[in-house]
Amino acid sequence: MSELIRSHGFTNQVLGWKAWLPTIDLNTATPEQVAVLEESHPQAKTSDYYLTLGHHPDILRQRSQAFNAIMYAPGGLSRAERELASTVVSRINRCVYCASVHAQRFEQLAKRNDVISEIFADPTTAGTTEREKAIVQFSIDLTLEPASLNASHIHALREQGLDDAQVLDLIHAISIFAWANRLMLNLGEPVFPVE
Amino acid sequence: MTSTSAAPDLFDSLLGIQPGTALHAVRHARDKVALATQGSQDLFFAPELKDNLSLTERLWVAYYAAYLTPQATFSAYYLEQLRKQGADTSVRTSIEAGAIDALSDTRLAAILRFTRTLIESPVHGDQAALQTLQQEGLSTEEIVVLAQLVAFLSYQVRLAAGLGALLSAGEA
Repeated sequence: MSELIRSHGFTNQVLGWKAWLPTIDLNTATPEQVAVLEESHPQAKTSDYYLTLGHHPDILRQRSQAFNAIMYAPGGLSRAERELASTVVSRINRCVYCASVHAQRFEQLAKRNDVISEIFADPTTAGTTEREKAIVQFSIDLTLEPASLNASHIHALREQGLDDAQVLDLIHAISIFAWANRLMLNLGEPVFPVE
Repeated sequence: MTSTSAAPDLFDSLLGIQPGTALHAVRHARDKVALATQGSQDLFFAPELKDNLSLTERLWVAYYAAYLTPQATFSAYYLEQLRKQGADTSVRTSIEAGAIDALSDTRLAAILRFTRTLIESPVHGDQAALQTLQQEGLSTEEIVVLAQLVAFLSYQVRLAAGLGALLSAGEA
């Protein structure tokens, strides 16, 4: 297990999440609801989050397909850099639960968490390399000021060696966390372990 | 490795991403993403969502989300869809005057207030915000669809901004 980070209300420890709305009951769920839970996530049947979204299984299915294609597809931007962007977006949107999950995934992939401490402390200055700083800044800009995005933002990423396929993977990762953060923030809340 | 969707999807057609261009190839090398994005679009704006938000309500949410961002291409698109539905144009007047609280349709006003909170400051969409929707008579299923819809629109406007920036940057 990695070292514990706690900073500005954010953490890399494992958190729970509880729903504010009634969740679907597996005993009375339709076969379609059960099927979409099984294809969305290995632990979906015991997760308040998936049991909330399961109220509308077709929409959940498309969301899960988009999410999994964006975060896990081979090639393009490294998975660690996708998780880095996800953590930045979650920090900016103040989704403590999402930031915890994706900080852990970054560390599993990158075998380090130095940049996670920096993101939690102050995302605007975070990044251990120029490439990381460019990815972090682009993640902040597209999250907070989508209407201001222009060609200069793309040039800044190209200057750090990202090709356009990698830039698109980054845009996808940032955008899907605009989606994911809102569901986690607006349909329930994180649960902290009892100490 | 690369497959190509049969029909142009909404992003390609609204943003003018032409087949044969480098950006079209890059985008459709991630066709699973493009297909799930279009699949979500088709579900959220299906003519009927059984026992759920009306198409007109969903289109007002979409217009308001794109208007607030702002994302001009998508706000114009949703406005055109509303016109085709024969939607009450006074809602647009209220939205653009910043006066959604004055809407006579209090259910729509509550839906649009929730939309504004999630678009502008998602961390403020709390349990009380859901209770306000419940007091307006929205069911659990309607609230889940509304939260998914606004979250999807937050994704859509950023993907549009990113693709638009790639288009204006031109080929590397």
